[in-house]
Amino acid sequence: MIGHEVDQRGKTLSAQLVALVLFLALWEWVSTAKIIEPLFIGRPSGIAKYLYTALTNGTILTEAAWTLGATLSAFALGSFFGIAFGLLFAVFPSAEKFFEPFFSAFNALPRVALAPLFLLWFGLGVGSKIALGLSLTFFIVLANTIAGARSVDRDFLILSQTLGASKSKIFFKVTLMSAIPTIFSGLKLGLIYALLGVIAGEIIASQHGLGQMLTFLAGTFDTNGVFGVLVLLGLIGVILTNIMTMLERRLLRWR
Amino acid sequence: MTSHVDFAAEIDNVSHIFSGRAQAIVDVTLKVKAGEFVSIVGPSGCGKTTILNLLAGLIPLQRGTIAVAGKQPHAGRHDVAYMLARDCLFPWRTAIQNAMVGTEFRGISKAEGSRRALGFLKRVGLDEFADHYPKALSHGMRQRVALARTFAMESSILLMDEPFGALDAQTKMQLEALLLDLWNDERRSVVFITHDLSEAVTLSDRVIVMSARPGRIVDNISIPLPRPRSVRSLQKDPAYHELYAKVWSRLEFTLDTNAQALST
Repeated sequence: MIGHEVDQRGKTLSAQLVALVLFLALWEWVSTAKIIEPLFIGRPSGIAKYLYTALTNGTILTEAAWTLGATLSAFALGSFFGIAFGLLFAVFPSAEKFFEPFFSAFNALPRVALAPLFLLWFGLGVGSKIALGLSLTFFIVLANTIAGARSVDRDFLILSQTLGASKSKIFFKVTLMSAIPTIFSGLKLGLIYALLGVIAGEIIASQHGLGQMLTFLAGTFDTNGVFGVLVLLGLIGVILTNIMTMLERRLLRWR
Repeated sequence: MTSHVDFAAEIDNVSHIFSGRAQAIVDVTLKVKAGEFVSIVGPSGCGKTTILNLLAGLIPLQRGTIAVAGKQPHAGRHDVAYMLARDCLFPWRTAIQNAMVGTEFRGISKAEGSRRALGFLKRVGLDEFADHYPKALSHGMRQRVALARTFAMESSILLMDEPFGALDAQTKMQLEALLLDLWNDERRSVVFITHDLSEAVTLSDRVIVMSARPGRIVDNISIPLPRPRSVRSLQKDPAYHELYAKVWSRLEFTLDTNAQALST
């Protein structure tokens, strides 16, 4: 039974690999034969060559470190404030009523539109990128924290009350604990949005980061370079998501 | 010793109306002696749970007086433990951690809490599952953990709202036997809500029969079956069946009068 499943997975994987190789070969051929202008689509061998040099001389890694650093800072700050405000709202619904219109108005704003303002306030450096990523992560984590805290089972609260739990014990040991799975899905999404905000900020104006590299490479018509950076970005996104999923599995074993 | 300590619960002329709905209970008077096992049976919606919730202090008293161990009821009293039809185990805690919830919430030391929890898990036959999360336990096992959690608090008064109502017949009988055993060893005062007459007769010293809404007490039947009782051998005991028939005829009577009231 399990052997069969492994077999099936192996088959799917080899089919996927074959499809990928065929696609890359087709791409290479279309580009070399100039069926489509190589300036627009680059070519797989060129992308590989670019990535090899950029990785060996380390330039792309330094820029990736800038992007990752900003992403993780934006994520940490956005999640911290998102969870803090979410829990505050869960405990004091009147605070939520007060902040709600301001927060929804701000959240309705396309965040990238704030980039020029953030550049003005926090400069060309990493600060403005963190601010943009944070502004995205914050609202996602906030919404999930509120939803999670609200979803607590009413019978759990009644039981805790009859058991003689104090309000703070009910909050930390019942409400917060039952909110954690929902908060965690907010964090997973929030991390991807932090990356999005940082990249957008770097594309608009920056001295460092993968987003800045993208603008520079595209501006100098280095299409292979653009694709190379995109490959690396995709890889970073996948790794971040996998780390979060692994953490989730460990922390939420009980589910 | 003052006289009220002899009673686990004294309910005097209590009536309750839920806003915008029909009267839930009317003129209910009921005394539960310390160490007594009293069941309340009645058709659904007769206000059984209202009585229990008043005793637990979960809803405010409107009319009449209630004393629980001589004092006003309020939620969270350490001498009262409450158990629901749903096991209400926290999914993020293992069986033993769930059995410790009550002692932990009441500020009893961790060492003492885990000693008690493990002891009662053993009593309900789940010590080997102490480190399992609820998702890995069957319905019956989960309700057994809830039973361990309830007893581990060592409260002298237990309020139980159809605690076995959600279980299949066989599991239910197992848990009834378990409850009888636990109760035999640690005489607690129990107010037990159920709609299952055989369960009420099997477990109780007294069965209170209530009428359909508005709920009134229509009879108070003592169950003089000798203790310790065995759930299985009671099934073959004619005295048990006689008592069952008696409770049933009283309940049937209330259903009939209710039906008449509806048809006129």
